[in-house]
Amino acid sequence: MTTHVVAPRTWPLRFAASDAGAQTASVLVGLVLWQLLGMGVERIPVPSEVLSFFWEELTSGVLFAAFYNTLDGFTIGLAIALVVGIALGIAIGLSDLVRAFCNDIVLVGLAVPGVIWALLAILWYGFSWKAPVAAVALTATPFIAVNVAQGVKATSRDLIRMSRSFGVPMHKRIRHLVLPSVMDYVFAGFRFAVIMGWNAVLLAEWFGGRDGVGYQTRTFYDSNDFTGFVSWVVFFIVFIVLLDRLVLERVARRTFRWRAQPAEGGGH
Amino acid sequence: MSDVALGSHVGGHRLTVSRRWRRAGLVVAGWVAFLGFWTFASHNLVNPFILPTPATVAEEMADIVTSGELFEHFQWSLMKTLAGFALAVAIGLPIGFLMGRSRWWRAFFHMPVTVAGNIPGITYAVMALVIFGIALEGPILAVALISMPYIAINVAAGLDGIDRGLEKMSHVFRRSGRQIARHVLVPTVIPFVFAGVRLSFALAWKVEAITEVFGSSNGVGYMIRQSYDRFSVAGILAWMFFFVFFILLMERFVLQPAEKRLFRWRPKEATA
Amino acid sequence: MATLTIENLTKVFPPTAKNRPPVRAITDLSLELSGHVFVSVVGPSGCGKSTLLNILSGVEPPTSGSISVTKDNRPARLGYVFQDARLLPWRTVMDNMLYVQDGQRERAREIARRYLTMVGLDEVHDSYPGQLSGGMQQRAGIARAFSVDPDLLLMDEPFSHLDAITARSLREQLQTLWEDSGKTVLFVTHDIMEAVQLSDRIVVLSHGGRIHADIAIDLPRPRKASDPEVAGVQAEILGRFESMEHDAAVA
Repeated sequence: MTTHVVAPRTWPLRFAASDAGAQTASVLVGLVLWQLLGMGVERIPVPSEVLSFFWEELTSGVLFAAFYNTLDGFTIGLAIALVVGIALGIAIGLSDLVRAFCNDIVLVGLAVPGVIWALLAILWYGFSWKAPVAAVALTATPFIAVNVAQGVKATSRDLIRMSRSFGVPMHKRIRHLVLPSVMDYVFAGFRFAVIMGWNAVLLAEWFGGRDGVGYQTRTFYDSNDFTGFVSWVVFFIVFIVLLDRLVLERVARRTFRWRAQPAEGGGH
Repeated sequence: MSDVALGSHVGGHRLTVSRRWRRAGLVVAGWVAFLGFWTFASHNLVNPFILPTPATVAEEMADIVTSGELFEHFQWSLMKTLAGFALAVAIGLPIGFLMGRSRWWRAFFHMPVTVAGNIPGITYAVMALVIFGIALEGPILAVALISMPYIAINVAAGLDGIDRGLEKMSHVFRRSGRQIARHVLVPTVIPFVFAGVRLSFALAWKVEAITEVFGSSNGVGYMIRQSYDRFSVAGILAWMFFFVFFILLMERFVLQPAEKRLFRWRPKEATA
Repeated sequence: MATLTIENLTKVFPPTAKNRPPVRAITDLSLELSGHVFVSVVGPSGCGKSTLLNILSGVEPPTSGSISVTKDNRPARLGYVFQDARLLPWRTVMDNMLYVQDGQRERAREIARRYLTMVGLDEVHDSYPGQLSGGMQQRAGIARAFSVDPDLLLMDEPFSHLDAITARSLREQLQTLWEDSGKTVLFVTHDIMEAVQLSDRIVVLSHGGRIHADIAIDLPRPRKASDPEVAGVQAEILGRFESMEHDAAVA
């Protein structure tokens, strides 16, 4: 695939030509572009301003407080999404009746953008703590339900075939086969749920005006303090990217390792 | 299909037909139950302001259609989404090409591409608001940025694959660079671009709507914001249903048939 | 008909990993062939057969030595048949044939149609490769290679991926095509039986790309796989092949 490049002798050149070098170059170019953008567009702050603002917010404790508040509602909403999503997913996966009933509704839930749930949640719950929670729960549940349903359906098909040909006790199969594979599908759906849910909670806070990261962002925007505004945007982007990279990607890789087995029409 | 396998073969054909009717019946029953529960909840559980009855929402939807608002605003949103896609292809193609051909470029673009794909939609919306105000460019750029990773990654994946053997064959038969590009590279890449577009369509549409909610003077998102500002739950629900129907329609009647046609040269694989 | 002259060809690949020696794919190989001949190159896996073809077709450069493939003192035109057909999957069979043709469209179509008919594929010229069986795809590959009217036809184990029945039928078709066309063919295979059935001359390579033996096959054509004479020669060559392996193992 690669063109035949003679390996450079000196170590700085070798680093530049390597993968790590390319990634570093990428970050550097990004920072430079940002700097240029900040200097050119009035409303956008340059990286150094954002950095010093970050330090201010960190040391004053505001950063921590805001994230704590947001994550509070976020995790509760996610927990609800998990419980309801898994239950719904299992029901849909096991029973054709439930599937016929609920499938369309779940699909609609998938297609609705988080912003709509956020707006509805605010109209329903006003400016209380329930709004962000509801927004997250409504956004994330369909992703988990759909994945779990898929998982259960695939597994139960294998299960039926396998238990027929081997006559192995069902409880053993459930423990060793069904449960682990369902958990894998839960993880797959969970990653989407987290990303979509994070989006929803920020939206709910932006419009719903209580406290938390979204609220902070809104406040700075309203007072035309664009350094503060862009800084908070950067904070929540960095947060979700880190979360995704460090936590979720590991989880997803674990899932994909299982999925790497080609599914030859069902059980094997 | 699996239903037939699990069921008995007695009167086989008749059994499948009746099964299909049964399933359709269940789906309809599901919707009826859902609407019934909704109406009940609206009348008895919460006040009709919080949850308007299906009838109210339906009325609102009819209004939107007859007043021409549906057509007008969907047109705006669709136009912005398509423009965004075009931009995404224009950016994503060369990036994907570089990523597919060179290991260094793949490593270079890995981070910006994954980040762009994972940035919460709200980010695009507020940044577009800050930079572009309520102009058209905001949603267009947002769609472009969120779809670009899917296209770039798919193009890179496409170039990774079939390429080598066919390239070598072309060299052996002394085909010119132009001929190779036209008959090998482009046909390799186009289906993958399409796959990228298809994957990102629903997501792009959502981001487009969010961006319009924050800052726009037209489009579906704008109308949703209007309903929100007027405290109209019925309005939001009405536009929400139209929004969802549209995505499903596009999937069913545009994207799937287009995909089938684009890939008609693929050998039929037995579905699991 | 072409003249192929290889002198002291050596090909060395850089080591695959650190602390490994470089890979000698071909060592000091000299070979000459010309005219209406069918020459097979046989050898175990890793003996450099595919590398030889890569160098001949211009895909790989030699490390040292010289190669000359000419017809009447100008560079020869090459045709190539791959192990895996290598048809453009998104083009019809006819379009695949046209891909390798230059010149006027109508004439190219005529030529393509002629060769497709020769291999019995004229009815499926509108189909996509994915809709054809492995044997049919390979036939298309052969038709394609012949259709450019090459001076030298290189074939890289073209039948090794096919089932025995299809392979047998294609071998017969190939013999007919070759006899009628008067071309020079260099045919790489690991299958000695196949080589004996098809060739005038068998070049045996051992590990490291050295010529171990150069055997003339003097059997009348057409040759059927069931001919006792063919079987006799096959047994003899097989014996020599096995002794070569034995020598290599003992050494």
